[in-house]
Amino acid sequence: MKNPLLIGLLLLGTTTSVQAQTNPVTLNFYSGGDVNVKDLWENNLLPMYQKTHPNVRINLVFSSHGDNDQATIDRMAAAKKAGKPSGIDLLEGPVDDAGTAGLMDKLSVQKVPLLARVSPAVVNRAHSYGVPYRASSVVLAYDSSRVKNPPKTVAALLDWINKNPGQFTYNTPDTGGSGNAFVTRILMGNLTPADASFFQTDYDAAREKAWSKGLSTLKTLAPKLYQNGQYSQNNVGTLQLLGKGAIQMGPVWSDMGLSYLKQGLLPDNIKLTQIDPPLAGGAAYLGVAADSVNKAAAYDFLNWLLTPEVQSVVVDKMNGYPGVKLQYMPKDVQTRFGDIAGDFSYGFSSKFGSDMNRLWYEQVAGTAQPQH
Amino acid sequence: MPPLAVLTLLVLLPAFDALRFSLGWVPEDNVSYASGLNLIRSSQPTLAVFGRLFSSASFGRDLGLTLFVTLTSVALLTVVSYALAVYARFGRGRWVGAVRTLYLLPMFIPGIIAAYAITTFYGDHGLLQAMLERVGVQGYHSPIRQSWGIVLGSVWTGIPFAVLMLSSGLDGVAEEQIEAARDAGASFWVILWRIVLPLNLVPLLIVLTFSFIGVFGSFTIPYLLGPAAPNMLGVSMQLNFGAFRQPQVAVAMAVFSFLVCALVGYLYVVATLRQNGRRV
Repeated sequence: MKNPLLIGLLLLGTTTSVQAQTNPVTLNFYSGGDVNVKDLWENNLLPMYQKTHPNVRINLVFSSHGDNDQATIDRMAAAKKAGKPSGIDLLEGPVDDAGTAGLMDKLSVQKVPLLARVSPAVVNRAHSYGVPYRASSVVLAYDSSRVKNPPKTVAALLDWINKNPGQFTYNTPDTGGSGNAFVTRILMGNLTPADASFFQTDYDAAREKAWSKGLSTLKTLAPKLYQNGQYSQNNVGTLQLLGKGAIQMGPVWSDMGLSYLKQGLLPDNIKLTQIDPPLAGGAAYLGVAADSVNKAAAYDFLNWLLTPEVQSVVVDKMNGYPGVKLQYMPKDVQTRFGDIAGDFSYGFSSKFGSDMNRLWYEQVAGTAQPQH
Repeated sequence: MPPLAVLTLLVLLPAFDALRFSLGWVPEDNVSYASGLNLIRSSQPTLAVFGRLFSSASFGRDLGLTLFVTLTSVALLTVVSYALAVYARFGRGRWVGAVRTLYLLPMFIPGIIAAYAITTFYGDHGLLQAMLERVGVQGYHSPIRQSWGIVLGSVWTGIPFAVLMLSSGLDGVAEEQIEAARDAGASFWVILWRIVLPLNLVPLLIVLTFSFIGVFGSFTIPYLLGPAAPNMLGVSMQLNFGAFRQPQVAVAMAVFSFLVCALVGYLYVVATLRQNGRRV
């Protein structure tokens, strides 16, 4: 070490790296979802993280219902094009779309060790661009005081709807996952498992011919729905119709249904059940932006999210399933979910999903207005 | 100068971009445009996007609903507003003040709040149905989530502007003219038809045009009070852009809506110029 300049540089290098760990870091976290997701972050998870990580400040930018997700991705894309940092460190939402566009960091067990506790299939669905920190699925909610034997299969459900006109409805598939899952399940009815997995991950508009039978089933179902063919406006709309007794049955998100029951927004006679084959569910993913300058802190945050203590809070507050496999959860969570946590199917890939929405509007809802 | 710059940057340039996009030019650096489904790409300007739009059945249904709601709403709005304005101008008695306050009320209520209020009142299992059932009237069918629901909401939210506009015109009608006609034995309808209406034509045209443009391009009211499908063009544009991931179709619909509204605006300009010309 003859060269004082080199020594100086080395010293400088070590001091900056030490400083990086002790200096306060601000992570800009772009998230989206319903108000329960916002509450979870603002009231529970972020204060909890702040307590153990005083040097990391998390700046939550929330977009309700993910309305600004596209704008966020556009901003990242524009920053990448301009060669400047977007200022976004963490993204909850369409990490897969953003990742395909080259805007997300590919995660691995080396970066986030606790990812080893998550089912590989769930990680692969988002092509490793995000950590699934919570999950839920769509289930069938019914009024147990009037429905004694709830349907157990899709065929039995369709039969029940036909025999009880006006007592069932679902929301338009673009406005919420619960109606979307119902439509998806009906369209999937005639697909082979191999086809179904293609529809979940790939895209080829020519294959949509396979939906025609499902679409016509939905169309003939329309007059038997609430008010001769009215669809509820969103996830909450179905819950409200159930709550005021206007319908006896409808598809709802498991986490929203359980929360509503817990808060007394739904009467106790509303029960939740799953049909076979199950309705779709999915995980919420949180990933790291490719151009983030605080990746170390971001990985640490993601790893922390998968620890049992945090996962227990997520399960408790959201009434959802944990992101990690059940075996890594405390005993009481394991008994609470039994084996239903893994019991959901997946929806269509996002492009197939867009086409499904369009075809539903063109061929199911757009054709006849309810007449009185 | 700054207003011109703002106009160019925020309105003219994006409008020009949208027009080019609807004519087949897909900007590759715009993620939300270039990643859309069913894009038509062309190096020459082409009307293929519009061709496909006009031949699609769902656009026909959407346009049909939009025209029905717009024309019905404008007609109802004009009749109701004219009646209110005439009453507030020529009416005598203690109710005039109350009416003047009431017709202004919707102006201070945001459209989205109004839509929710209308749903709670007129909707299924709403207040109106509860009251009707209390007095023994059964079989109420709510207009909410039907095309008439949008008409109801549009008329309700459109009244303040329309009445204010018409009132300002009516205030300009001299009391002496009315008195003179009355002395000559003219009835109320004759006065309205022969004196008030001709003197009040420009405000009426303003109300007709702006109500048309307002309802034609509305979003909140049809989104919250309309049926799941068909949808008015404003809602349909949003669906195409977001839920169907067809930005080109959405932009083409926007261009089409703009042309319709521009045509109505042009008719208004021509009519007012003529009216003013006659006065000179």
